[in-house]
Amino acid sequence: MTTQTATAGLQEHGGMDTKKLGVWIASVGIWFLPLLWIDPTTYAVLTVAGLAMGMLIFLTASGLTLIFGLMDVLNLAHGAFFVWGAYVGFSILNGLQQIGWVEGAGAAQSIGSVVLCLLAALVVGGLMGIVLEKMLVRLTYGSHLKQILITMGASLILVEILKVVWSPNDEVVTVPQAFQGSWIVMDVIITKFRVAAIVVGALVLAGIQLVMMRTKLGIIVRAGVENKEVVETLGYNIRRVFTGVFCAGAALAAVGGTMWSIFKEQIHPAMGEENLIFALIVVIIGGMGSVTGSFLGAIMVGLAYNYVAYTLPPLALGANIMIMAVILLIRPTGLMGKE
Amino acid sequence: MENKTMQPTPVQIERENLHRVRFTRPALWVQLVLVACLIAGPLVVPSFRAMDVMTKVMIFAVVAASYDLILGYTGILSLAHVTFFGIGAYSMALVVFHSGQAAWYHIFVAMALAVGISGILAVALAFFSLRVKAIFFTMMSLAFAEFVFILGDQWHDLTMGEDGVSFSLPGIFSVNWSDGTFLGATLNGRLVTYYFILAASVILFIGLVRFVRSPVGRVLKSVRDNEQRSTALGYKTFHYKVLSNVFGSVVASLAGVLFAMWLGYVNPTSVLGIPVMLNVLLMVIIGGMGTLYGSIMGAAFIQVAEAWLPDLQKLAVLLLPTVEVAQRLAERWILYFGILFILVVIFFPKGLVGTARDMIARRKLRLAQRDH
Repeated sequence: MTTQTATAGLQEHGGMDTKKLGVWIASVGIWFLPLLWIDPTTYAVLTVAGLAMGMLIFLTASGLTLIFGLMDVLNLAHGAFFVWGAYVGFSILNGLQQIGWVEGAGAAQSIGSVVLCLLAALVVGGLMGIVLEKMLVRLTYGSHLKQILITMGASLILVEILKVVWSPNDEVVTVPQAFQGSWIVMDVIITKFRVAAIVVGALVLAGIQLVMMRTKLGIIVRAGVENKEVVETLGYNIRRVFTGVFCAGAALAAVGGTMWSIFKEQIHPAMGEENLIFALIVVIIGGMGSVTGSFLGAIMVGLAYNYVAYTLPPLALGANIMIMAVILLIRPTGLMGKE
Repeated sequence: MENKTMQPTPVQIERENLHRVRFTRPALWVQLVLVACLIAGPLVVPSFRAMDVMTKVMIFAVVAASYDLILGYTGILSLAHVTFFGIGAYSMALVVFHSGQAAWYHIFVAMALAVGISGILAVALAFFSLRVKAIFFTMMSLAFAEFVFILGDQWHDLTMGEDGVSFSLPGIFSVNWSDGTFLGATLNGRLVTYYFILAASVILFIGLVRFVRSPVGRVLKSVRDNEQRSTALGYKTFHYKVLSNVFGSVVASLAGVLFAMWLGYVNPTSVLGIPVMLNVLLMVIIGGMGTLYGSIMGAAFIQVAEAWLPDLQKLAVLLLPTVEVAQRLAERWILYFGILFILVVIFFPKGLVGTARDMIARRKLRLAQRDH
């Protein structure tokens, strides 16, 4: 009897694996579909652009998904952190322009100025995250409606203050010299900053995975996502972890904003909201609370956006919402979401 | 006639009581006075600005009340409610605009279109996302709202993009139409439109009140308070949630038609934008969730604030002519909306009507205890 059930189980398991393989092949293969109507060179350009965009969206979405997964807070102020990061980066670049680290800078200076921007955004975003969590979000644990209202209110306030500090108009961002222009590899034009975006995105992903999988802090956060009470009974101060995760999420969003501003070479106060929509779609696709899921979702959204934007520009965001709807039909909790 | 011998159920007793006091309730008189004020308003105060604010209060009271049906009575947080309002507004504008010459039946075509499109979309949205966790629906609805906004903004052939659509109303609703005076006020298209909107919003509002007082409305409240229990009692809660969503959305789209009629102009930011959604949300919260009548007060508060807050800038120029930061801060009146949001959530979560009802209930309890 036992052996029979064991073999049955094995067979069933084997069946599952074939199915899984099929799903994998289908889900990878679908990304080559645009080759039918886009010529390979353009396809390659679009793919690089899509990967870069996906990586940048991932920066915002990873924080959103962690905050949701751990704290059960839908943080609609995430877009405000994003746009603050963009404007802080813009100001730092303007300042560095004075000492010649932007226009006409060498490779080391260009990289240095981008790193400085990112650090500044990291600090500003992180501080804003801590203040917001300690002052407002803390009051609303457990009530989604209150969270949405309070984070929306905070978002309105932050964006309006931003308009007072800087200006409500569009601004042009000067890209550091070494990141301007592009390389041409076998007829494929690869914009330099896109490569930088992919590298930064990959580094952040690696960093998050390292912290989450290899450190004690990561274990506490992951355990908190599963069951907060048990973590508390083990003597950890879950509130402190909440603040930390909120701070990290905000800092990541701000970094995403800075990268995005250099990527697009212009900024405007409404960009936070626009990006929040991408991040929300990504978080829903990936499953709330899953960093890997949001990474996959971000790449999907970035690629799909670029392919569709090339073929039928007005439908680009619509395509992403279609993807979301299809994935929700198949898996109501998202790609990596728990039932 | 078995019922006569049976004990009446609590619901029957409550209905009986309501029925007995229906002409003596103070609330009824408040309502009648309110409607009378709105009728007399344009005749007594012949200022266009006041009339504009009153019309917007009426329309947004309906939008907020229909949102309250979904949020306060069913407990679903949708961020796509204004999208349906915008669909209504756009159907009115586009029907007239694309047919060239406005005709009287266009209003009804627009209403039918608004009801049809928003009904179908509301069902689709609900089927996609109401099955899973409630928070999922919120996120899906936000993405949907943004999608429709972008459609309105980018689909230039249909919606004229961000420039918006201006159109003129047919016949007696037209701004150009004028015919003597009526009780001392000039009888023109504006006045006719005003009364049409007044009548329509009163009908829609009464429709909403009847809906929440119906047996269906009672089930909706039970879904909000304890979904598992109502499922256990044999109600298909999903169906009720879809129904409430669709009904609320359809009413919002009809209010959108009225809004387009009043302005004669629609653009994506004014009828589809997320800020409008936030305003409606704030109206419901200020008035009190799950009270319907609160949305009238919320709408009045927000509309009056919106009409006169921009004047703050002039005040700042007058009082602090040298402090540039103060002027720039005063210019950003959305900032105060954000602050209001937070203050209301922290200090006033039950809203005006909710708090008032609490106070009345407490007083009644105290009186009852004293009599006892």
